[in-house]
Amino acid sequence: MAATEIELTPDQRLALETELRTLADDEFVLAERYTEWQVHAPTLESDLALANIAQDELGHARLWYDLLEELGYDETDLLWERDPDTFRHATLSELPFPEGEWADAIVRSYLFDVAEGLRLESLEESAYPAIADRVGKIQREEGYHTEHAENWLERLATDDEGGDHLQAAVDRLFPHALALFVPTEPVPFGAETVSGDGAGSQYTDTDALPDAATVEETIVAEGYRTDSLATLGERWLDRVVPTLESHGLRTPVPADGEITDELVPDACGRNGRHTDDWDTLYADFTHTYRELGREDATMIMDRPE
Amino acid sequence: MDVETVKERAGPREFSPADDMPEKYRKAATRMIQFHANSEIMGAYLEKPFIRQAPSIDRKLAFSAKVQDEIGHGQLLYRAAESLGIKTREEMLDELANGEGKFLNCFHYPMESWAEVPMIAFFVDGAAMRRQATLKSSSWEPYAHAMDKVCFEEGFHVKHGEDIMARMATGSRKEQQMLQDAFDEWWPRIIQFFGPTDDKSTHHDFSAEVGLKQKTNDELRNAFLDAYVPKAKSYGLEIPEYPRIEEVGDGEYHVEEDDLDWDEFFTVSKNEYEPGKGQIDSRKAAQEAVDWVRDTIEGDANLPGSQAAPAAD
Repeated sequence: MAATEIELTPDQRLALETELRTLADDEFVLAERYTEWQVHAPTLESDLALANIAQDELGHARLWYDLLEELGYDETDLLWERDPDTFRHATLSELPFPEGEWADAIVRSYLFDVAEGLRLESLEESAYPAIADRVGKIQREEGYHTEHAENWLERLATDDEGGDHLQAAVDRLFPHALALFVPTEPVPFGAETVSGDGAGSQYTDTDALPDAATVEETIVAEGYRTDSLATLGERWLDRVVPTLESHGLRTPVPADGEITDELVPDACGRNGRHTDDWDTLYADFTHTYRELGREDATMIMDRPE
Repeated sequence: MDVETVKERAGPREFSPADDMPEKYRKAATRMIQFHANSEIMGAYLEKPFIRQAPSIDRKLAFSAKVQDEIGHGQLLYRAAESLGIKTREEMLDELANGEGKFLNCFHYPMESWAEVPMIAFFVDGAAMRRQATLKSSSWEPYAHAMDKVCFEEGFHVKHGEDIMARMATGSRKEQQMLQDAFDEWWPRIIQFFGPTDDKSTHHDFSAEVGLKQKTNDELRNAFLDAYVPKAKSYGLEIPEYPRIEEVGDGEYHVEEDDLDWDEFFTVSKNEYEPGKGQIDSRKAAQEAVDWVRDTIEGDANLPGSQAAPAAD
């Protein structure tokens, strides 16, 4: 069933868009960072492997952005002409890699891929059929990504120097990975996407928007995602903390396992606040589009089904 | 096998690691294949920033895949070079890092704007396709075999490069002007891609006699001009006044070689051209930054980063 055939109330639409933006932005920005390793990875083989992963993530971003396009946006609204403040990826995706820090790429991939795997499971039975339809393809590829990260984690951890690099990466990245489970601050509908009969028009400006927690409740109540972020976060901790510890790596999670707001960075991405590195990254990847004075994004591949 | 026998038997895919080849042949083949492999890596290094700068998701995906393909070609070619028993891959990569490894002239020049992308991805890759197609008949079987895969993938790259150019050529006046400016700058380098005329080329004779190389520089360059001068014109590009290009007959073109800057070409070829040195050195720094990872995985055949990594397929 095409997304456009489903009648959505403004609250439903806001919840749906918020979940899709979160999924798409995470994947797009992470892929953008992964491509930095192309021609810079430690070996030709690891170069090829990470390039594969980057392209998979870009492909996933494309699948999710495509569902937003079915709601009336186009690629320029969603990326090339979008206000950078309206991106909702977790800051885990946007942080630059310190030079030569391959351990950062591995830890980041591990933390992200486990979280994404759990989130995808929770989208398998989505009440929005177009989401459920796309989960399977993504899951097959993510399974490989997690395996790739786990293999490297194990290999680097058996070496003293490798272990030090991993620990530094965990220290730097873990708080930003917690951001993956922070409810997403909604973005107003673009006026151009509001349907002719005025449906949804109440959310064209920021003041009228419900808060992130309310939108998160709607996402779960409507069944767009079947588990809450709080539940997914607990599952994630149950999996990544013991694994990291088994490799001799410490996490900032206290002994009682209680995650408090203080552990999450103020600028976590989901709340619309980003690091300064995001502004630079956004300026770089939109540079050509602006330099050429483009008004559309060239498509050369078939659109996803 | 002695050199005379090699010359007698020389034919397409005639020799493989099972043959006892004379050192002169193995060294000549190593030099040629190593140069080719190095060029794949340095070409990828040059183009990589444009993955980020690509102006649509599809272009970004295609460009990331192209850069990945080039690294894959490098991997394949170093393996073909290693099979000659003269140098290991590690030695060749070390030589590339420390500025001893030679590579194609075009990849020594910096790239700054998206308008330059089709100069590499259409013209240079198109020129490379011409040469590589003839190398499918090289006498060193592992090299010829590698060319099957390389040519297959390059075909897609050239098509994508042409599509990028077509979009700019039919875009705004500004885009068209950027494209023409890039073409004016790159055109002489692209013609020099094939190297100097045969009487100035030092390595040709032996490589041709033992079947490593199938066509002369002149033959390849002329065939390229015959195909690409009309293509450039069909996209509205004006061929620069210099080097003078003469239409000598039925759709055949000839370039006035003395109009090209061969001093610069030989400076480039010796890795002594300043911007090119910057490319070599910055790549070296990037490789040194991950030395620690290579140290960690050294000697481990069944783990990620080794040849057996599943994702290397």
